[in-house]
Amino acid sequence: MFNMVEATQVIKIPLTLEIPVGPQHPALHEPLLLKLYADGEEIVKVDVITGYNHRGIEKLAEKNSFFRDIFIVGRVCGICNTVHANCYVRAVEQILDVTPPQRAKYLRVLAMELERIHSHLLILAVTAEIVGYDTLFMYMMKDREYVMKAKEILTGARVMADYMMVGGVRRDLDSVKVERILEILNKVEERVKHYLKVFQEDVTLNKRLVGVGVIKPSDVVSHSLVGPVARASGIKTDMRAQDRYDAYDEIPFNVVTDKGMDNYARAMVRFGELFESINMCRYILTHLPQGEAVPDERRLPRRFPAGESYATVEAPRGELTYYVSSSGADKPYRVKIRTPSLNNIVNSSFAYLNHYIADVPIIFASFDPCISCMERATVIDLKSRSVREVTLKDLSRWGLK
Amino acid sequence: MRVSLLKEVLKGIFSKPVTIEYPKVRTQVEVDARGRHYADLNKCIGCSLCAIECPANAIVMEKIPEGYEVPKTNARRIYPVVDYFKCVYCYRCVTVCPTKAYITTSEYRLATSAKAESRVLSLNTIAKAEVKPVG
Repeated sequence: MFNMVEATQVIKIPLTLEIPVGPQHPALHEPLLLKLYADGEEIVKVDVITGYNHRGIEKLAEKNSFFRDIFIVGRVCGICNTVHANCYVRAVEQILDVTPPQRAKYLRVLAMELERIHSHLLILAVTAEIVGYDTLFMYMMKDREYVMKAKEILTGARVMADYMMVGGVRRDLDSVKVERILEILNKVEERVKHYLKVFQEDVTLNKRLVGVGVIKPSDVVSHSLVGPVARASGIKTDMRAQDRYDAYDEIPFNVVTDKGMDNYARAMVRFGELFESINMCRYILTHLPQGEAVPDERRLPRRFPAGESYATVEAPRGELTYYVSSSGADKPYRVKIRTPSLNNIVNSSFAYLNHYIADVPIIFASFDPCISCMERATVIDLKSRSVREVTLKDLSRWGLK
Repeated sequence: MRVSLLKEVLKGIFSKPVTIEYPKVRTQVEVDARGRHYADLNKCIGCSLCAIECPANAIVMEKIPEGYEVPKTNARRIYPVVDYFKCVYCYRCVTVCPTKAYITTSEYRLATSAKAESRVLSLNTIAKAEVKPVG
């Protein structure tokens, strides 16, 4: 006689392989652990584990004076140092109730747009490198160097600009420098057009980028992704257009969006923004207002009233926000930084699912990860995690009971 | 065959490399690029403002050793010594100096196994006092 027993439990034994990608891995340029769970070649789960690059910059900012912090926050991220400094400086200007002159606002935007150009060129080159197209990587990095030169002409250093100061910028432009930067921009625009053609036509790049890492617009909103990642899914979010800070209210530009939703769309959005940024730089250099731009740093206010302020800026990777709180002392009471990479990387583990292991680095690179940017606000409490993983050994022990 | 970079790559094989052979050839930097800087002790008044404002704590105020002609404006006889390994070259000290005493250069080749400091450069800006004959 067949005895029917009612089932009370379902025990799923996952046949997955755990693959750690990182913290040190050739595909990742910065320390981050992507714990992949693969069923065969297919990714079924990804854990993003951060915390290998924590430097305590927010605490350091509390220990230093307002003016020293301008240079400290620039060191949060090497690639986007002027946007970090600009965001902090505008927050401090709100507390001090200082308005920079119009020429300084234009020069600030120029520095930030040059930075966007070289940042986007870098990540597009890295995209090419990760799909195995090293030749394209080398050529793009060569042409990125022209932009670094333009930044050196403007700010005095290739990478670390240290260009922002309360009440203006720290260097002015003369007509010779304007001409030289315009010349560089013409050269770079030509090259970017060529690379766009390569990205559109190349078989290798298309096969690796199109249809990989699809993020639906509903996922973008529910996971609060920002920047080019959101814009590539058709979400028109851009703090330059929404907030109109500095001189963005006077400089014409378009917000580039794409409906492709995949890696390829994200690359195309970055290409579109490259052309927009080049045109903006050109507009600034030809429409630069006259007047003072450099404040006398010896006469800047030394006393800071109590108060708090919140500034936001569109970094190359998305929306970057600074919250600065002053208690009336010479040091900020609190500096809170929220970087775009934090949203984009920690919240995006769903994008890897159902793709092959080989696609993980390229999906990861399409988010334009900046690990040193995001290493500060994440605390992963393993104890309170609700998901409990049971090993086969435990399972067999249950069976013996 | 659609190899979009082929033409460029072939051209690259027969042309000179674009990379700079660094130790043999100097990288061309801007004249006003932020490089090594040191205090001109003829102008320095020893106010320590640069040491206070330095975001990297790279500047230490030191006593000017005996045997140097120190201007009367520097009553405390102290001068800033920049540690070039700690320095982040933000030039905050240059812009905050009340007497504009810093001399700026675009010198960027500062790699060394010894200590890199502005001590000797700064002391060379002032004359050595004449040694009085003993007796």
